[in-house]
This record gives sequence, structure tokens and C-alpha cells, in this order.
Amino acid sequence: MAGIFDRLQKQIDDKRNEGGISVLDLADLPPTLRKIMRLMLRQTKMNYAQLRETIEHLPEGEQLTRANLDEALEKLSEQAWLIQIGEGERAVYKVNLRRRAGSNLSETIWQNLDSKLKR
Amino acid sequence: MGKIVSIHSFRGGTGKSNITANLAAQVAMADKRVGVVDADIQSPGIHVLFGLDETNMGNTLNDFLHGKCTIREVAFSVGDNATQRPQLAGKSLWLFPCSIRGHEISQILRDGFDINLLNEGLQTLMSEFELDCLFIDTHPGLNEETLLSIAISDLLIVILRPDHQDFQGTAVTVDIARSLDVPKLMLMVNKAVPGYDYDDLKGQIEAAYKAPLTGILPLNFELADNASKDLFSLRYPLHAWSQELRKVAEAILSVP
Repeated sequence: MAGIFDRLQKQIDDKRNEGGISVLDLADLPPTLRKIMRLMLRQTKMNYAQLRETIEHLPEGEQLTRANLDEALEKLSEQAWLIQIGEGERAVYKVNLRRRAGSNLSETIWQNLDSKLKR
Repeated sequence: MGKIVSIHSFRGGTGKSNITANLAAQVAMADKRVGVVDADIQSPGIHVLFGLDETNMGNTLNDFLHGKCTIREVAFSVGDNATQRPQLAGKSLWLFPCSIRGHEISQILRDGFDINLLNEGLQTLMSEFELDCLFIDTHPGLNEETLLSIAISDLLIVILRPDHQDFQGTAVTVDIARSLDVPKLMLMVNKAVPGYDYDDLKGQIEAAYKAPLTGILPLNFELADNASKDLFSLRYPLHAWSQELRKVAEAILSVP
């Protein structure tokens, strides 16, 4: 029987399949959104309280108000660039990067290559 | 929290892997806990400098990305396998190599992979190994894993040769790093021909990119002759190349 962590991971995996952001697209985000995404990239997963605490410890001038943080999190979650599990103060956020796409070359080419490469 | 140092060059052949391996060794010799990740999945090479080849390589980053092992199980302890590099014996230095097997490289290229998993692996090894410094040897140019390495780095070191093709390409990397808010950027020149006015070169490069040039490493025939079979700065510590490289290692250590 799947435990709570398996179910949580499944929810995250399902949401991750919905898309995600490419790293290059991070460069085009407004500064506030990019700041949160960069923080999340380094932590990979944070709950709301941890995020608020991290933001509060940023240098003065880089900090966000609670309203700004909430608005940014809502935008990032709407786009599925951050995956939100749970609601409000208990919400957990996880960054969602777009999968690196595979090759567009024909399958025949890959099969031929594979047959020539020793295992 | 330790710092992530990505080493990048826009074009190949700049000596990036050689410099990365030597910098990592120098930082480890300053008694720091150091990791080196080969993020050049499509053309890996840095493992050679640490004495690994296809026959003695264990788990790889490819295995981790395919869910076959944990990131911890990819680690190769350089400090515990330092017979050929006695200066590194007992040092806290780990290499996380990529597969050199043709079919495993082609599998990554054909199928792609989960960039989230790569990032989680990098962050996990930072915490599990309590690293002071994680060096990421990136693929030249810009692809997704290289962009990720740049985006998560505390310090990006861009290596270039004194060559107009490198100058233009470096401008692209610098622009992207700035647009991704990388906190600290350093430049390094490698393969500088003797007879150059190094002060003039430094002035030109710093003015062009508005970033500090941390080291100018001379064109080094002894290094070429070493043919990546060893860490040059350990074998020839008094060579001008090694001395200049140590200045860059000191600059890395001074970054908070």
C-alpha cells in the first residue's frame, strides 16, 4: 500500500508532467519571480514558512512583502513553474523545470547507432 | 551552505576540464570538502584526470538520471584512491563522473532526461557530502544542463582563449549569467601566448565584460605533453601555469 510520501511524490510527478519552465525562460521572468525561482532551485523544496523566513533573511532591498510573495507564488503555481502541494501556510513548493527533450532524429538512425555501439 | 562554482566556456578546447580538475584539487588541498560533477553528459572527460576509465568507473550520473542508483552511489572518492596523486590522499574530494559508454551517451541524447532530477541530485550531494565547494564542469556552449549549472551557481567562472571567436561567445555567456542573476562572475584566460602584454589583455577583457579577470594562464606545452593523464598543478607546482591557477583557487576560496 502506498504511503503518504509515495502519494505526495505521485502528485508531484503528475503535476510535473503538465509542463514546467526552461532555465532560459527564467531569464525573462520579472525580478521578483526570478528571485523566488532561484531560491527554490537551490532548496528544491520548501514550505511556505521556510520561504518566508528565507526571504526575510535576504539583504535589505531584496526582501519581499508578504503580499508580494503570495502574489508571486500564485503566479508561479498557476503556470506550473512551481508545484504547490497543500494550501495556505501548510503549502509545500517544488520547482518544476521542463524536461530536457530527446532527439528528433528518426528512430531508425538511433537503432542503427545502438546496434553498432557495444554494450 | 557551500558554494556551487560552475566552470564554463562558450567554445570547446579552452582547457575547461583540465582547469576544473586542477582548481578542485587545489581547493581540496586547502582542507575544504570538494565535489566535482561532470555535467558534460554528451562529451565527458574530466574523469581521465582523476585516473578513471571505462574499466574502473562505477556508477555514473547517467545511472542516477535513469533511476538506477542514488547520487551518493555515483561518488568516486579521489582521496581514497590517490596512489597516483599522493598529495590528495585523505583529502575530502569526490568526483561524480558521467558515463563514457557510447550506448549510455546515445540514450541520454535520444531520450532526454529530467532536469529536475539533475538539480535535485546536485543539491542533495551538496548537503549529504557537506561540501564547501561543488565544481561543475559544464558542456561548452549552451544546453539545458549547462544553463541549469549557470542558474544555480554562486560563482561562474568563464574560461576563454585570447581569440576573437572566444571573445564573442564569452559575451553571450556573460549576458545570460547576468540575466539569470548569478551572484558572482569571474573570467579566466587560458593558452595566452608568451609575449602578450598581460596587463593590457586584462584591461581589455575587464573593460569589455565588466567582470574581473582572475587569472591568465600561459600556453603550456608541458601541460599538452602531460596529455590529461595527471593533475598538472600537483605534478609541477612551481610551473607558471600552476602558480597562476593557485591564484584563481585562492580567489574562489575568498568568495563568501
